[in-house]
Amino acid sequence: MSLKKFSELFGDLDSINSTNNKIEVLKRYFLSNEPIDNSWAIYLLTGKSNKRFISGRYLKNLFSQIYEYPQWLIDTCYLKVGDSAEVITLLLKNKTTSRNKKLSNISLNELLSKTIPDISKLNEEEKNLQIKNIWERLPEDYHLIFNKILTGTFRVGVSIGLITKSISKLINIDEEIISHRLMGNFKPSIDSYEFLINKNINIQELNSKPFPFLLANTIEDKIFHHSINDFQFEWKYDGIRMQLIKRSGNVSLWTRGQELVNESFPELVEKMSHIKDDFVLDGELLVWNFKEQIAFDFSLLQKRINRKSPNRSIQIKYPIIFIAYDLLEINGRDIREIRLDNRRVELEKYFSKWQNKTENNISNIFKICDLIFPKDWPDALTYKEKSRENNTEGLIIKKKTSIYSSGRKKGIWWKYKVDPMQLDAVLIYARGGSGRRAGLYTDYSFALWKDQELIKFASAYSGLTNIEIKELDKWIRKNTIEKFGPVRSLKPEMVFEISFEKIQISKRHKSGIAVRFPRITKWRKDKKINDADSLENAYELMKKIS
Amino acid sequence: MRTKQEYLIRYKDGNLYCDLADIWIDPSKPVKKALITHAHFDHFTFGCEEYISTKETAILLKERVRDNIKIKTFEYGEEFKINGINISFHPSGHILGSSQIRFIFAEEKWLISGDFKLQKDDTCKQYEIVKTDYLISECTFGLPIFKWDDSNKIANDISKWITNSPEKTSLLFCYSLGKAQRLLNEISQTNFKGNIYSHDSIHKMNNSYRELGIDIKDTIKIENKKIDELKGSLILLPPSLSKGSYLKNFKNIQTAFASGWMSIRALRKRSGYDKGFAISDHADWDGILEVVKKSEAKNVFFHHGDSEAISKYLVEKESINVLFFGK
Repeated sequence: MSLKKFSELFGDLDSINSTNNKIEVLKRYFLSNEPIDNSWAIYLLTGKSNKRFISGRYLKNLFSQIYEYPQWLIDTCYLKVGDSAEVITLLLKNKTTSRNKKLSNISLNELLSKTIPDISKLNEEEKNLQIKNIWERLPEDYHLIFNKILTGTFRVGVSIGLITKSISKLINIDEEIISHRLMGNFKPSIDSYEFLINKNINIQELNSKPFPFLLANTIEDKIFHHSINDFQFEWKYDGIRMQLIKRSGNVSLWTRGQELVNESFPELVEKMSHIKDDFVLDGELLVWNFKEQIAFDFSLLQKRINRKSPNRSIQIKYPIIFIAYDLLEINGRDIREIRLDNRRVELEKYFSKWQNKTENNISNIFKICDLIFPKDWPDALTYKEKSRENNTEGLIIKKKTSIYSSGRKKGIWWKYKVDPMQLDAVLIYARGGSGRRAGLYTDYSFALWKDQELIKFASAYSGLTNIEIKELDKWIRKNTIEKFGPVRSLKPEMVFEISFEKIQISKRHKSGIAVRFPRITKWRKDKKINDADSLENAYELMKKIS
Repeated sequence: MRTKQEYLIRYKDGNLYCDLADIWIDPSKPVKKALITHAHFDHFTFGCEEYISTKETAILLKERVRDNIKIKTFEYGEEFKINGINISFHPSGHILGSSQIRFIFAEEKWLISGDFKLQKDDTCKQYEIVKTDYLISECTFGLPIFKWDDSNKIANDISKWITNSPEKTSLLFCYSLGKAQRLLNEISQTNFKGNIYSHDSIHKMNNSYRELGIDIKDTIKIENKKIDELKGSLILLPPSLSKGSYLKNFKNIQTAFASGWMSIRALRKRSGYDKGFAISDHADWDGILEVVKKSEAKNVFFHHGDSEAISKYLVEKESINVLFFGK
């Protein structure tokens, strides 16, 4: 029965907007199901499983093959729906005629721990047959869940925070504890669920797990009314936020995305294990330019993230550093309730001790962040503007009195980012969106002038309001010059302000430049296409910055 | 092959038009003579000199527009002649009074499907299979992802949706003519026994349906009701009221929209309603294919909706001759 209940839960969560109602629905679900199924439900809902057993393309091909369905028709449907698993679910509605719904009592546990993993052990022919079998024996209502798990696209509007809240309410234990227990490698099992809802809090079992991260909010004007001396200023690095933990001799590296990444950065783990004290540090991992003492671009860090057990030459080519911002725990003593400036004193004290006492030199892989001391707010602004020079994104401003609580707590930490760079560009292509934006043209390409020609320089799909998206979609349909599959080339008429974070030379692009995080910041209806910027303007911008 | 001008019925200024009879079908601007397939406003325009429709359509239209329009009416199946062309209305199953229109001239038959559905609907006459040489069909839902569930299943889902939240007021948005009455008819056969309220525009149509002999469950006209009285009950409202300040009249609500488009998750999410019920008064993919087949038409035109996919499918898979009107 439990897959039926999970399917209903999915439907409910998908159609409820109120957070409180979602929590109620989740609580009710957890109370009425087996621990093992609850464990799987949490695993799925928190997006911890995104393993793709087969691709969406494979699923569509398979359907086309089994039911002799033209591929182009499936593709056309996809443009409307925006999700392979859902397209196939909808198309299956009139195909699965078997009355023998043997799988109607399958549990979530059975589906996830056996049925689906077993599929990936089969050869292609058996695999196809098995998927067809399941389609025919599984009641129609469960097809969407099955297809989504199979293609690794199971997502529903539930955050980890929401799951945390529901479990916290279910057993009356602080959210922080639950959040702590939910961090990291949550393996679905009876034990992991029982541990999650255990009313006794055991410090020992929480040993390797990080604290919930404290996040900064976007800058608010009201802080400028406060004395500059109330705050601590740091550079905002563009790396991977992490907690570096050493407890009982073991080092663990946790990302903010709750991944344990020891395997990707073995040199850091090794070096830190020589430190005698136990500790929890909050900081940033970067690929570091040791000569100039600044961070390398994020793209170099990407070369390290997904590579497990990197060899020596990779380690040398992309040298990493951990920059600590904060000390959260020292030798088993949780100091998160101490004010920030006092924690900083502790951090500096221990750092110099470690530097002097550790046999191995740790300073070539670990340091603490430098503080900045602006004398007033205009001076802080000047620092912020300079942040591009040292490859940071701006400033982080922290109240000196702040304790280390969890989440995006208001009114204690802020990020003060450099203003983005901007160019006005002409819309030249549009492509249909997927997921929530299916059936609308929402992915756009923009061009700049080069002599009399418009050259594509960036693609963006965020920044417009829903109303603007609909309006632009209508315009696109009326002003199409040509269609190439899902892409339409458009009459050059609309000008948009495009903002981005970084601009650099690129040989791969026809324009010769590449921008990072391009997004639409304004629909410039007031501008004609001749008012749009040229590639020359872009090159000038690049020169100004470097 | 004949040129477009020689077809008995063609597209002119974006509307279906028959030259020989000098008559328009559901025109969008004032003309001399207009055949009206059904009483939805997107098929009707003011200012025509003469309208021709079924009796039911005429009554519904007059109730809706409250204007002295001149409508000539005919029974389903009753043939009448205009300039030597035999014309007749046939049930299309879309809403009460809705019709397909058949033209016969010089032994050549043309059929305009109008908006139609094949699904069960006790509030109007069942779709009638009419044989034809040329078929002009709507294809609002012309993709195979559209496959309607039985309407009683949807009604049960609606009933569950309301009864699962007894502390809430459930607002169900639907078109006031046709969809609302069909839903009322279906919901009255479910386990939901609470109060049903309806907006004035729906209330009026319910009364017209009753006067035309259709059994529609009694609803209470929604006026200044006390909020606690509405708890646990169902309120039917037209979609135009879903945006804006009207909803502020209610406390603790859940909202849903009843429409065929709600079968797609992305559209459901984008719609802004809490929930979507996929029920439509148009034919789904299989419905359109069935009508094309059973009409025995050798030539098919599509209008209303994106017809690219279904046209290509019919040509490739069923070897049907699909023709296109120049716009």
